[in-house]
Amino acid sequence: MMTAFVNVLQVLLLLVFAPALQGVIKKCKSWLQGRTGPSVWQPYRDAWKYLHKDEIVSEHASPIFLITPYIVFAATATAVTLVPVFLDSSLLASTSTLLLAVYLLGLARFFTALSGIDTGSSFGAMASSRDMFVSLPAEPALFLTLLALVLSDHTLNIVTVTAHTILHPGILLSPVFYLVLLAFFLVLLTETGRLPVDNPDTHLELTMIHEGMLLEYSGKRLALMMWSAELKQIFLYTLFIDLCVPWGMADDRATPLRLLLGVALFFIKLLFVGLVVAFVEMSYAKIRLFRVPRLLAAAMTLSLIAIVAQYLL
Amino acid sequence: MNADKGFRGIRTVESEPYQLPGAVTDILLQGGRFLNAVATDERHRKDVVAFVLRYFFATECGATASSAYTAVSARIPAERPSYASVTSILPAAAWAERESHDLFGLVPVGHPDLRPLVLHEHWPQGVYPLRKDYPLERRQTYVDASWTYPKVDGEGVFEVPVGPIHAGIIEPGHFRFQVMGDSVLHLEPKLFYTHRGLEKRVEGLDVSSGLPFAEQVCGVCSVSHAISYATAAESLSGVTIPIRASYLRVLVAELERLYNHVGDLGNICAGIGYAYGSTAGSALKEQLLRANAALTGHRYLKGSVALGGMAVDVTERQLLELERALSRIEPRVEDLVQAVVTDDVVQNRFRKTGVLSVQNALNLGVVGPAARASGLPLDVRRDQPYLAYDALQFEVPVQAEGDVFARYWQRLLEARQSFSLIRQVLNRLPEGPVKEPIEDYPKESYAVGVTESPRGENFHFLATDEAGRIARYHVRSATYANWPAVAKAVQGNIVPDFPLINKSFELCYACCDR
Repeated sequence: MMTAFVNVLQVLLLLVFAPALQGVIKKCKSWLQGRTGPSVWQPYRDAWKYLHKDEIVSEHASPIFLITPYIVFAATATAVTLVPVFLDSSLLASTSTLLLAVYLLGLARFFTALSGIDTGSSFGAMASSRDMFVSLPAEPALFLTLLALVLSDHTLNIVTVTAHTILHPGILLSPVFYLVLLAFFLVLLTETGRLPVDNPDTHLELTMIHEGMLLEYSGKRLALMMWSAELKQIFLYTLFIDLCVPWGMADDRATPLRLLLGVALFFIKLLFVGLVVAFVEMSYAKIRLFRVPRLLAAAMTLSLIAIVAQYLL
Repeated sequence: MNADKGFRGIRTVESEPYQLPGAVTDILLQGGRFLNAVATDERHRKDVVAFVLRYFFATECGATASSAYTAVSARIPAERPSYASVTSILPAAAWAERESHDLFGLVPVGHPDLRPLVLHEHWPQGVYPLRKDYPLERRQTYVDASWTYPKVDGEGVFEVPVGPIHAGIIEPGHFRFQVMGDSVLHLEPKLFYTHRGLEKRVEGLDVSSGLPFAEQVCGVCSVSHAISYATAAESLSGVTIPIRASYLRVLVAELERLYNHVGDLGNICAGIGYAYGSTAGSALKEQLLRANAALTGHRYLKGSVALGGMAVDVTERQLLELERALSRIEPRVEDLVQAVVTDDVVQNRFRKTGVLSVQNALNLGVVGPAARASGLPLDVRRDQPYLAYDALQFEVPVQAEGDVFARYWQRLLEARQSFSLIRQVLNRLPEGPVKEPIEDYPKESYAVGVTESPRGENFHFLATDEAGRIARYHVRSATYANWPAVAKAVQGNIVPDFPLINKSFELCYACCDR
């Protein structure tokens, strides 16, 4: 009973703090640029603003445009229930396989791309085609990376893998681990629409990928799409933490104090990932669109080497 | 056809309207470089009774400003306002001929593309606002018509309309991309959304009250425009400005070039989302703007130039402060550019992107850093020296590649020259008055003022009427000459590279429109 309650808490934590993570990364980037930057709570204010604005829907839009935000949010929120956060279990622990996670994100991406084309706006269509172009190598890269991480555990269940990794800190000594860490990080940047693949801060419509698909949204649906994007980001960071640096997580016999320590540790790790991302975004420029597959090919190669190495070493 | 010489130092070649291509070819063969074509309505003048169209050329390299220009002038009869277009032999004249067609109703017979340029399709046909019989205050009714533009047909070819209102806070401009996937087959820009009627507004004003209008032509080249206007006015009146003023004008003109170039060195990085470059660049630009404010009282140096000299003088102390500020900024500009150009993403994005060939640059009459980065060795400061540039040492850097990288690097090469020019001025600024009073202006006369702005050559044409007031004022900013080149340079690149290519030219919209 206690575990079930904490599991619900874990999901709520991610849902509530997803926008804050976005705010923190923005703040770090501002500091790195020598600017004050918006408050870390700005994403909440934006969401509040969108919720109170009228919605304008293109007359060319089909029902797909209207339901996409709900599908995207539902898919991403379901993915969030799969991952352990500060306790080594999750709400949907029994079905918590990596395949499900990857395909839930795939579903969200598919509908986002459809909605971009749906209104007939040229920016949306361009962004959708670019997003599909990027996702073509990004999805196998994500899957290969995850596979390389879980290969030795003979299971695809995230909770089991996490528990296994906690028990075997010895992998920190294996070079394979660092190959995968790097590969996973590259995929992470791509999947969350960060530089050097996509520029989340740009106002140049012609260069947008993820933001371009959202251009036609306004009001409540825009708020939902933004929240989903932030949720996807915090989900991927959590998955990264679970699979690569899960140590410090509480188990089901933990005292409330131990649980709190788990929460604190999770936030520290999350903040650290966010900092690294902010630093990468600061020091990189956007690469030419046609070079993105090469970046992902590099991630795939790293993962492949890691997989082969696991059999050899 | 006869040639008379010495009209305010401008050699004039008279031509019949239908002999223009021949007369223009003659000048081109003598090595003349086309500047601009200016139409004037002189139907009310008893000795003219016609429209006059003048094609201006820079003819004598190295000559002083007053004798360096040649005008091919044709009287276009009022009852049949048409002439033979020279666009087919001189593509750079395409916009100027379209503009005089829009504003004066002069028909260039044989022009390959006579769509409206300045007035758009919603302006009623047959109404020519710059003719003298069109009152300044008259409003026009909106005409419902659609814009025509070249289209590309074929499977997989799409059209992407962008603007005129953009997501960022920039000026309005509409761009039609004909694309295949992400590759641009053709780009058709539609500009001229910001018409302010400056040229019509100053007609009938005193020459002395035109200067504030000239300063407002462009927000970031206001010094260059002010000096162009002042040069034209001074050459009309025959006044020579004090030597101190000519050095001070060089000082403010180079400060303007500096803040523009340094700002661009940062801003071009924003085209690829390179936050370090754009932030560091805008920080350095801010320091330069503050130095400007400390020197002249205005961050963008407005109000510093006066007719007959300078409106502000500087003290020893201000000059010392400026020198200190510049020696602090100069190494940081070098550091910034070093950091940017050694980044491999920057190299990959900048190199071979948005190439403007030397042939295209020459045909379209491209000016300024864009021309020099494409291999055209042009610089008004050296070729038709004005102010104190004759007495100062500087080089005109020229590169061959013509891509975004060359235009980026060009900014640094030119900023170095500007730093050096400013130092020279600071070291040998002569003492004396800074302003020479101008008594009056001759009647029914004209003069031109040409200066090198941060974006290239700014050309001003100023004519007086029978009372010595402004009869016609025309501005061809550097931007006007360079816009057609952007469309050319984008061809064959991918859509997401357009903002970068556009930023590497860094053109304004308003000064093109006036």
